[in-house]
Amino acid sequence: MSDKKRVSRRQFLNYTLTGVGGFMAAGMLAPMVRFAIDPVLTPQAAGEFHSVAPIDELTNEPQRFEWQVEQVDAWYESKVQKTAWVYRDENDEIVALSPICTHLGCTVDWASNQEYPNQFYCPCHGGRYTKDGVNIPGTPPTAPLPVYKTKVKENMLYLGETQSRQGA
Amino acid sequence: MQWTKQDTKQYLPEKQYVDTVLIPLIPFDPASEQKMIQEAFQRELIQIFTNLIEKEYRGRIFLAPEYHYLTNQHEEEITRVNKWIEHFQQQPFQHIFLFTLDPKWKRYESHLIGHLLWIPGKANGDLQSTETQSFVKEQVKQVNELIQAYW
Repeated sequence: MSDKKRVSRRQFLNYTLTGVGGFMAAGMLAPMVRFAIDPVLTPQAAGEFHSVAPIDELTNEPQRFEWQVEQVDAWYESKVQKTAWVYRDENDEIVALSPICTHLGCTVDWASNQEYPNQFYCPCHGGRYTKDGVNIPGTPPTAPLPVYKTKVKENMLYLGETQSRQGA
Repeated sequence: MQWTKQDTKQYLPEKQYVDTVLIPLIPFDPASEQKMIQEAFQRELIQIFTNLIEKEYRGRIFLAPEYHYLTNQHEEEITRVNKWIEHFQQQPFQHIFLFTLDPKWKRYESHLIGHLLWIPGKANGDLQSTETQSFVKEQVKQVNELIQAYW
């Protein structure tokens, strides 16, 4: 037995203290680090998709679908009802339009005016849009209806955020 | 549009398009214990109603601050309601709707300068229930058609 391999009392105490101290420091730091990076880890609400309707309900005629979304304001959290006009176009692709008139924010209706059976019509100031949501020049709105991002998963249609489009 | 900073800011430059104002008339009487629950319920109901109407037509309808009055004091209130209406007319708003669930206003309708819209509400119920929701949605749809008839 050589004395050199022996751990002296001083060394033993040093190792133990560093070990225990390290554990304690880590125990304190870990939650702090977790809190610090927490905002980065939360999923972004803006990119969320919500299930709206089964895709076999969709037709070539625009239909109105409603769903609810949690919205957080500065002061309170609330449930907000969202609406979309959804249909399949000639290429069988799903189109989801926001019903909010780009003029002053009324809700537009599909074919509600007898004179314009194939257009979106805004009852407030007579704004009109073609089926693909493009505003008709000469009516008050200056931009097309925004489109929702769409996603299909397991035969359900999911809608995300809206994208505005440039005016006609 | 509503009586908020954001909406009023949007309203002023677009005045020409917003020609309708909706004033909710809401009775309350803090002295009467039996009526309190019912009146509070009716107040919530009318707020849901008017918010839905405003949401649908926010580009043309301005939702005024709620007009509260003590229950059954209609005669004394007429001058004050009319004063509100006159001030709105100075904006100028052309169509003034008074929205209420209180049928007693009907007797004084001819003294009021605005159109009185009385809706048969519900005496009691659960605002969260799907039954109330479909009831309110259906009625809002019809009130919207009625308002369109004035435009």
